[in-house]
Amino acid sequence: MEADDRRNGDSTSHNLRASKKPRLAGILTESDIRSEFAHHQTGVARINNGSFGCCPGSVLEAQREWQLRYLRQPDEFYFNGLRPGLLASRTVISDLINADDVEEVSLVDNATTAAAIVLQKVGRCFSEGKYKKEDTVVMFHCAFQSVKKSIQAYVSRVGGSTVEVRLPFPVNSNEEIISAFREGLEKGRANGRTVRLAIIDHITSMPCVLLPVRDLVKICREEGVEQVFVDAAHAIGSVKVDVKEIGADYYVSNLHKWFFCPPSIAFFYCKKRSSESDVHHPVVSHEFGNGLPTESAWIGTRDYSSQLVVPSVMEFVNRFEGGIEGIMNRNHDEAVRMGLMLANAWGTNLGSPPEMCVGMVMIGLPSKLCVESDEDATKLRSYLRGHYSVEVPVYFLGLRDGEEGVKDKGSGLITAYVRISHQIYNKTEDYERLRDAIIELVKDQITCQNLPSM
Amino acid sequence: MASLSPPEEATASYHHRHSKRYSSSSSNGVESSVSDFVKRPKISAPNSISSSEIESEFSHHDPAFARINNGSFGCCPSSILALQRNWQLQFLRQPDRFYFDELKPNISESRSVIKRLINAEHDDEVSIVDNATTAAAIVLQQTAWAFREGRFEKGDAVVMLHYAYGSVKKSVEAYVTRSGGHVIEVQLPFPVISADEIINRFRNGLESGKANGRRVRLALIDHVTSMPSVVIPIKELVKICRLEGVDQVFVDAAHGIGCVDVDMKEIGADFYTSNLHKWFFAPPSVAFLYCRKSSNGVATDLHHPVVSNEYGNGLAIESSWVGTRDYSAQLVVPSILEFVNRFEGGIDGIKKRNHECVVEMGEMLVKSWGTQLGCPPEMCASMIMVGLPVCLGVSSDSDVQKLRTLLREKFSIEIPIYFRPPGDGEIDPITGYVRISFQVYNKPADYHRLRDAIKELVRDGFKCTSLSD
Repeated sequence: MEADDRRNGDSTSHNLRASKKPRLAGILTESDIRSEFAHHQTGVARINNGSFGCCPGSVLEAQREWQLRYLRQPDEFYFNGLRPGLLASRTVISDLINADDVEEVSLVDNATTAAAIVLQKVGRCFSEGKYKKEDTVVMFHCAFQSVKKSIQAYVSRVGGSTVEVRLPFPVNSNEEIISAFREGLEKGRANGRTVRLAIIDHITSMPCVLLPVRDLVKICREEGVEQVFVDAAHAIGSVKVDVKEIGADYYVSNLHKWFFCPPSIAFFYCKKRSSESDVHHPVVSHEFGNGLPTESAWIGTRDYSSQLVVPSVMEFVNRFEGGIEGIMNRNHDEAVRMGLMLANAWGTNLGSPPEMCVGMVMIGLPSKLCVESDEDATKLRSYLRGHYSVEVPVYFLGLRDGEEGVKDKGSGLITAYVRISHQIYNKTEDYERLRDAIIELVKDQITCQNLPSM
Repeated sequence: MASLSPPEEATASYHHRHSKRYSSSSSNGVESSVSDFVKRPKISAPNSISSSEIESEFSHHDPAFARINNGSFGCCPSSILALQRNWQLQFLRQPDRFYFDELKPNISESRSVIKRLINAEHDDEVSIVDNATTAAAIVLQQTAWAFREGRFEKGDAVVMLHYAYGSVKKSVEAYVTRSGGHVIEVQLPFPVISADEIINRFRNGLESGKANGRRVRLALIDHVTSMPSVVIPIKELVKICRLEGVDQVFVDAAHGIGCVDVDMKEIGADFYTSNLHKWFFAPPSVAFLYCRKSSNGVATDLHHPVVSNEYGNGLAIESSWVGTRDYSAQLVVPSILEFVNRFEGGIDGIKKRNHECVVEMGEMLVKSWGTQLGCPPEMCASMIMVGLPVCLGVSSDSDVQKLRTLLREKFSIEIPIYFRPPGDGEIDPITGYVRISFQVYNKPADYHRLRDAIKELVRDGFKCTSLSD
């Protein structure tokens, strides 16, 4: 295969791939899947794929081959193997996301790195007088904490102001989100300011909701927002990603969450513009000034192997019916099915309607658990991990004054949600274990205030 | 973890004995007997690693190659790679638990180990990052903020060596020049005759930095320059910086730990970074950035450029979480001590033997080619520059790249080559220098191959101009 040839370089190098990897033909069976994830800890209901993702054994094997090739003769690899290998990965991604040009696609470690790149650039514009002090960056209040800190570090520090849009949650329709966002943009423009950057999650992390990102970007354009950065950490492998359709200036997604890559790799899309875009990788190497894809392809000696296995991941997902789309659809359907099962069992609700979920769903926890703070949520999560071997993140919903909130079947206020994920290695029993754990806690009148210490 | 005492005279390591015997080998083109490292019976201290164990630890290296460029990418023994894999698997097994329970304490452990190794005062002073390139971005970003926020005046100077690493120079451009700093490059002589030459040039460089009432805000000094490679008299230079009122001194010791003596208190710099994957057997990649705690606490304006939710918790903590990534290379650091302590004299013994062997090999090549070393032996550590025969006609950076490629592709020799532009008035100067490295897996045969390859090229009347683009 072409990708192999490029990867293996000249004819004298070992064709490690052909010699080592068993050629499995056809669709993966149940037992194949179990075997691919045999390295996952058994006995754990691992229903949090959203946080750290997963990587199948065959992709780990491919990664190891890249690592060994480097260790074997690192100079030769640096001069002949690395960049072509990265280009192969970038090309696969570019095609997947419908970018115009592979030069729009850079590989970085993770979405956190991409945020630093965008925000450093915005910061420079403030520092160098291109933006006026008090011009704004608009984002959702539930933007990932690292992104918020990055804004503090690079934008607030130099006088930029921020506007946080409160995400309605639980949410019932896209319209609720769109109108909240419009309000946020108006605030951002108040007093003659310009909104220099809007940061929009494609899929928010906590609480987890699929946002109508195409509509939101359109509104940004209509309302004169200078640049739009879509933080789509969870997107690729969760939801269809068409960067042209979405129309953002910057778009980042992690591939180690839902796209089966080893930790860690993200693609960072920067729409081509006729003018100099002034985005740079913050770790400056001798490639500085040669364009972000080239800068990111060499940020000093490191293990780049996780960025080189993308073609192998394509092979992996194509062994599933419907390829990555089939996986996405099945994950979504199962997550929703399990979510409804849990909501029914607990007498609670889903955090958003099924069409606003991906392979992750928020389900209200029974009010009787008395989750009253972020610390309670963390305690409960640890307890579920330690006592029931269930790995699931818990979200505390701090209601604001005037917000009514949703009540559970017992008429208590729902203050917390679990975020369940479904990935190909999950089974119904995983969610049943969660269901029963919560039911038992409620039955035993355990609350966050009287959780037994571990 | 057994720490071996230095060898007694009577049980001198076979490396020492080998070097004594080797120096009598002839240089008149007669093939001396092939490397005897492996074959000679050894008298070793208890628990010391055998040569066959060493071979086995590096059996993943391409056996066809004379790998005499440890300086560029380093090496990692298979026992460390195996431990690294365990860390990777631990994460993959149950990443949430690993993140909440295992990651931070184990990074702290690695930092403690490094702190002891480098004689730092506090664990707080030690941050772990990917590589020296990242460390440079951290320090230079701090300098840039000072310019942007008016603590430094536009035009205040940052002084660095002309031989500073290419990436570091670009980082200075990206952060310092862009924010209004004035950059001064100190030219150093090469070949180098003595440390005094360097000290004097550096002093002059600082003077010009201070011209026109400017302050020198940062001196960026290599401990061991990359190309051409020379050990810089760093302690003296840091002292001069203090005397001359330089605000901060940042030592780029990419080739530091495992190569030269790395003692933070002795060196006295404000910032010091070294890669562990070059000469300290770590997998790619891991480096430390030491930031001296001042009397009022560690500089609070140092931040990792990739900002995470740990922002503001101190550089060491910020660096310990820069988003989801594979941190395994940083986690094996404690295990590396066990590996190096299987060698006589531990890391110090390794350093000493590497130095002696590289000098010996360098002198062997010089004799064979009729050229010279780039510096006196006491100004090199485990790498040395050796002049190439003038008749090869090295005349540009492009020539040395192409010659390097030829050596790799035709002779399976991996060696970086430096183009040294001729100076005014020089007659038939040596314009090409190879940088040979010596690490525990190297053997004299590696250098014989280089010797013979060059001699073959000379014999065939080879000229760099014949190399196509």
